Amino acid sequence: MSTRTAMEGWKVGRMKGLLLALTILPTFQPARLSAQDSSRIAESQSVLSQLVEAYGVSGSEGPVRETVKRLLPAWVKPETDSAGNLWVRVGQGDPVVVFVAHLDEIGFLVDSIRDDGSLVLRTRGGFFSSLFEGQPALVHTARGDVPGIFLPRDSAFTRHTPPPVRAHVGAGSRAATEALGVAAGSTVTMPKQYVRLAGTRATGRSFDDRVGSAAQILALRHLDRVKLKHQVIFIWSVREEIGLEGAAVAAAALGTTARRVHAIDTFVSADSPLERPSFAVAPIGQGAVARATDNSSVTPPAYVDSLVAVARARGVALQVGTTNGGNDGSTFTGYGVVDVALGWPLRYSHSPAELIDLRDVASLADLVQAVAELW
Amino acid sequence: MRKTRGKVGRWEGRKVRRWEGWKVLLSLSILPSFQRLPAQETGVATIASRFAGFTAVTGYEQAVAESLVALLPGSATDRAGNVVLTLGRGAPKRLAVCPLDEPGYVVGNITDEGYLTLRRIGRPSTLPPPSSWALFDQQLEGHRVTLFGTKGPVPGVVAVKSTHLQRGRPNPAEQPFSVDDAYVDVGAASREESRALGITILTPVAVLKKPLRYGGGTGLLAAPFAGRRAACAALAAAVLSNPKVTGMVVVAFTVQSLQTSDAGLNTVKRLLGPFDEVSVASVASRFPDTAVETVALADVEAAVRRLVLWMEGRP
Repeated sequence: MSTRTAMEGWKVGRMKGLLLALTILPTFQPARLSAQDSSRIAESQSVLSQLVEAYGVSGSEGPVRETVKRLLPAWVKPETDSAGNLWVRVGQGDPVVVFVAHLDEIGFLVDSIRDDGSLVLRTRGGFFSSLFEGQPALVHTARGDVPGIFLPRDSAFTRHTPPPVRAHVGAGSRAATEALGVAAGSTVTMPKQYVRLAGTRATGRSFDDRVGSAAQILALRHLDRVKLKHQVIFIWSVREEIGLEGAAVAAAALGTTARRVHAIDTFVSADSPLERPSFAVAPIGQGAVARATDNSSVTPPAYVDSLVAVARARGVALQVGTTNGGNDGSTFTGYGVVDVALGWPLRYSHSPAELIDLRDVASLADLVQAVAELW
Repeated sequence: MRKTRGKVGRWEGRKVRRWEGWKVLLSLSILPSFQRLPAQETGVATIASRFAGFTAVTGYEQAVAESLVALLPGSATDRAGNVVLTLGRGAPKRLAVCPLDEPGYVVGNITDEGYLTLRRIGRPSTLPPPSSWALFDQQLEGHRVTLFGTKGPVPGVVAVKSTHLQRGRPNPAEQPFSVDDAYVDVGAASREESRALGITILTPVAVLKKPLRYGGGTGLLAAPFAGRRAACAALAAAVLSNPKVTGMVVVAFTVQSLQTSDAGLNTVKRLLGPFDEVSVASVASRFPDTAVETVALADVEAAVRRLVLWMEGRP
């Protein structure tokens, strides 16, 4: 072996060592923290995780809508209306009952692009924009997702009142930014991932309202269509976070036809070390929640009682409570439609670290199915 | 002049051949699964990205130190926990050093409900602290963290008030979030459940490390403490490029630079010194001490070249 060959051999050996070493360098591997899941929990997770990892800021829900369509059972014939809401009609006859969960999530919209290439953002939905400062960003363009960062502030060091948030994709000029496909109107989010925590708990962003969307899909998968006594309409709505806009279109389209509407949306829970326990105390892991009163609607007490009776008849865990926020069902009430909102308890709403218990997802799906079949 | 240029030219040619191997092998086998890297990916870029994913809270650098020992043939940990290796022999005797640690947290207590409270370890790398340090702890609020427990990494999140539940309530000007506001939620419902995950008092805790490549062709890398990590990556890459060292160069990846008056570096100096010269690896960064601290990969490559030249005793 020549000297040169020996050297090359040494280098190859060094490279092999490097490769071996780098492969064992510590990298985060999501730990398997739970025991074997039941099939119901496993199915809930399978559906939910795919929905959570799709992006859909209000007004740009396309990827989420397509994910819902892909996860629906084969017999379903979904239709998309002019607003972007996805409809599934099952069964025949009156009274028509509507379930509505929303597709969209909070995020940002590119308002303008500065000369230095940075993006001036405005919010879509209500949240603490300080939670996005100095974090990775993802700009969603017609040509694909462009990675970047939310710029950290360099002044005004208060907690939740930062200057307007800007983002940067690493391009040094407006033209260079635009060359990446970024334009005014592009939506901006933070990269997200569904992550399993201890037991049956999980974290991610946009559980609000992907859990509701998942519950409707799961209910349809298990629905016994023979048991339906009337028509049931499942709607996945758009633009909820910016004013219930998609649901308003659906409500207008149905007018007084529907008798009851069930908004399937987050029950923002005070089950948290930081919240006052004065109301909204629905512990996670103890089942779905009747969102009996919120900022947009009050469910008539008799309907709450009926809901409780349906849950008992099927042995579904149900909590009853009151929380903050509005729900899509409230846009139907002006047409004489009773809003019986259902939810599941969520910690840390509208943050990158929303946290749920998968047992509540399964419980909510069971409740939606029970209401459709029995009530 | 001609002779000098010739030497430089030969060196650059040798260097290019070395990096070619990295390009092929590294890009094929060890790319992080979450990130598809561009075709022009270099070994330095890959190793910088990988180092940026490390967590080495001050005083709790052992896991990363062990990995570096595996990465760097001939290296070992000393009594302080520094990773040290020696290249060449004779005089001059010089030291190339990179601090391995980062400011972070350890579990300070576990509540009855299974939440974890934290104690910060380490301080900013510059004193007095930059003004942005006021928001250092706030980066925890509402974000993912990783706890390095006795049974392996455990994902968690730091609690944040729900936006909805603050409506209609007084909103006085709030002070920035501090470590005392942090409750880590790992999904456990009791102290016993948290302990069953391998979490104890003093378990190291760090914000999620998921290095981000952005900037298209400009080649930017963002991650917490990206500058410190890129500097260590550059030093490791310089060692692995097999420099023709002049005299003896001690290479040290030091621990506890941010909490204990640089105990690691001082240990190296006292155990292996005195040194004729000390070179501290560095790479410039933007947005320091944020989750998106950013380095230019070109600067990392330049740091490697600089370190190799220094080891070889060339200006």
